[in-house]
Amino acid sequence: MQVFKLCLNIIKKNLHIMLIYVIVFLAVSLIMSSSMTGTGKAGDISFTGKKVDVAFISEEESALIDGFKHELGKIANFVEIPDETEALQDALYFRKVSYIVRVPEGFSEGFMRSEDVRLEKTAVPNSVDNIYIDLCIDKYFNTARLYVRNLKDISQEALARYLESDLAPAASVEMITNGKENNDHTYANYFYNFLAYSLLSVIILGMSALIFVFNDRDLRMRNECSPVKSGSINMQFILANLLFTVSAWFVMVLLCFLLNFKNSLSMNTVYFLLSSFVFVFCCCGLSYFIGNLIKSKGAIGAVCNIVTLGFCFISGVFVPQEYLGSFVLKIAGFTPTYWYVKANNEIAKLTEFGFQNVKPILSDLLIIIGFGLAFFTAALVAVKNKRYA
Amino acid sequence: MIVRVKNLVKRYGDLVALDHLSLTVNEGEIFGLLGPNGSGKTTAINCILSLLKYDKGEVEIFGRPMAPDAYDIKRDIGIVMQNVAVYNELTVYGNIDYFCGLYIKDKNERKRLVEEAIDFVGLRDFTKFYPKKLSGGLLRRLNIACGIAHKPKLIILDEPTVAVDPQSRNRILEGIMELNRQGATVIYTSHYMEEVERICTRIMILDKGRAIATGTKDELKAMITMNEKITVESFGITDEHISEIRKLPNIISVEYKDNLLVIKSGKGKNSFETVLDFIRKNEIRFGKIYSELPTLNDVFLEITGKELRD
Repeated sequence: MQVFKLCLNIIKKNLHIMLIYVIVFLAVSLIMSSSMTGTGKAGDISFTGKKVDVAFISEEESALIDGFKHELGKIANFVEIPDETEALQDALYFRKVSYIVRVPEGFSEGFMRSEDVRLEKTAVPNSVDNIYIDLCIDKYFNTARLYVRNLKDISQEALARYLESDLAPAASVEMITNGKENNDHTYANYFYNFLAYSLLSVIILGMSALIFVFNDRDLRMRNECSPVKSGSINMQFILANLLFTVSAWFVMVLLCFLLNFKNSLSMNTVYFLLSSFVFVFCCCGLSYFIGNLIKSKGAIGAVCNIVTLGFCFISGVFVPQEYLGSFVLKIAGFTPTYWYVKANNEIAKLTEFGFQNVKPILSDLLIIIGFGLAFFTAALVAVKNKRYA
Repeated sequence: MIVRVKNLVKRYGDLVALDHLSLTVNEGEIFGLLGPNGSGKTTAINCILSLLKYDKGEVEIFGRPMAPDAYDIKRDIGIVMQNVAVYNELTVYGNIDYFCGLYIKDKNERKRLVEEAIDFVGLRDFTKFYPKKLSGGLLRRLNIACGIAHKPKLIILDEPTVAVDPQSRNRILEGIMELNRQGATVIYTSHYMEEVERICTRIMILDKGRAIATGTKDELKAMITMNEKITVESFGITDEHISEIRKLPNIISVEYKDNLLVIKSGKGKNSFETVLDFIRKNEIRFGKIYSELPTLNDVFLEITGKELRD
């Protein structure tokens, strides 16, 4: 296993450069981890009723309006605003309140006589708050009208009591996600996306350095003069590369487990692991291609930076894909990192793991495998051309 | 017979790199392949080792046909490449150990052989050095150590002293002779005739891929008409003087260039005294005067009409 040991020695000699990328990766992961601690993500599965800021101006006092104000108070925070046009408009404009309701004088008496009386309202147009308060007002007065029409001579006090009791029951709201526990995969998503940069860098640096050394004509000839079979030399070389790439992948995913253990025990993690492993295969192909193209050892670092940063910037590794322009994303479609990030984003959203749910992810992974095979093929063509040049 | 090459032909397109080359190397010999750059020495070695495919011919080593998969034959061959072929990522010790390990599986034996090789090439003080920290001469020594550590029966050295300082060169040549004394058969290629003349027991002169002469150095020198070369540092030599020298007995050629008069005489009587008498008689002013026996360069010059280093 001389060749295998030699490969490990060569990797060891280049380890310090690769460690820089691992340390950067670790630092970013730690920052991410700490920034996501205590962000209250658990709140995503609980429901709290919302209260709207409302200016309530009443030009009369009656039991009906008191009851109405009490009922409205369940979903509204009453904000005191002077009853002046300019002050009210300013309050609405600066969103001090979202809704102004005015009870005109004689409203209660007119309502009790079943006259067509109306509340005056001013609200932010097309806002959710507007509809929310409208629904509440309609519900109160529609119910009140039923009593007024059917119980002759009902007093305002009695009406208010009935309404209070009728509208008291409230539905309890529980957030469910198809019956599954909804783990937070935001961190894992970010981690595995960023993994593209680190893995690509480390694998290109390590494998290209190995291939570059083994492509040296004189060293190759010297090895060919030895009694070790060329098949054995190739096998040991491939084995060393496999060990290196799988180790690099394992170390990095282990970091994710350590930093995000709580959310790691889920099916999503299995898919994250699968996608990152498939991406490792593609990285190997790309590294093999680069290793066979470069002509000087010094160029490895430069080519590695250009390729990894270029791929990662346009593919959504550093900047989420949602923020990238459609033209950029179209170009990114020609890089494996784009499909890897896309697959990860889809995995993070997964709650059901049936074939139909997983299908888009599998097709993304197949595209990544396709990229890997294309890189390997291109590398073999490059090797053949070089040999016969 | 250790190596037998018969009618080896290697072409690169229209260029014939080896033109029906035949040679034999006997056990215990230091066989020299001498020729100018581009004469086909390295191509011949690469074909012998099956590193290059050849168009025609046969190669046998240790009495068996040589092929890329003749691993049993390769086990007993040590190769020292023209270019230094060592791993920059390994130390001096690591490199020798790696290449020795390709031949020797037993760890203890390998360790012993590596230690011996280190002492043999004089790299004891540099075992922990990486190749980039070594001088050109030390690198060449490391290159040799990597090729001979496993104690091969046949050692092939392809111009191992190129760009080496005289001190290291001397050490390398002494080492090769010592390896030969220890029982190894050596094939040594070089374009330095002094080296080949010094260490080789039998020499083949190559030019344009063809063997133009083979034999011991004395046999080669006997092939040419020249017996002695007299060089005189002299001033004021005229064309008349040169014509008169040419008429002296046994003189075969006279040249005068840059105040150096070079006279070559044929086999038979020595001409040194005759030339000296002529100079005195004609009162020609002269500085140094010396006589040399023919060299391999003279052999090459007479056969091909050009200098070895042309």
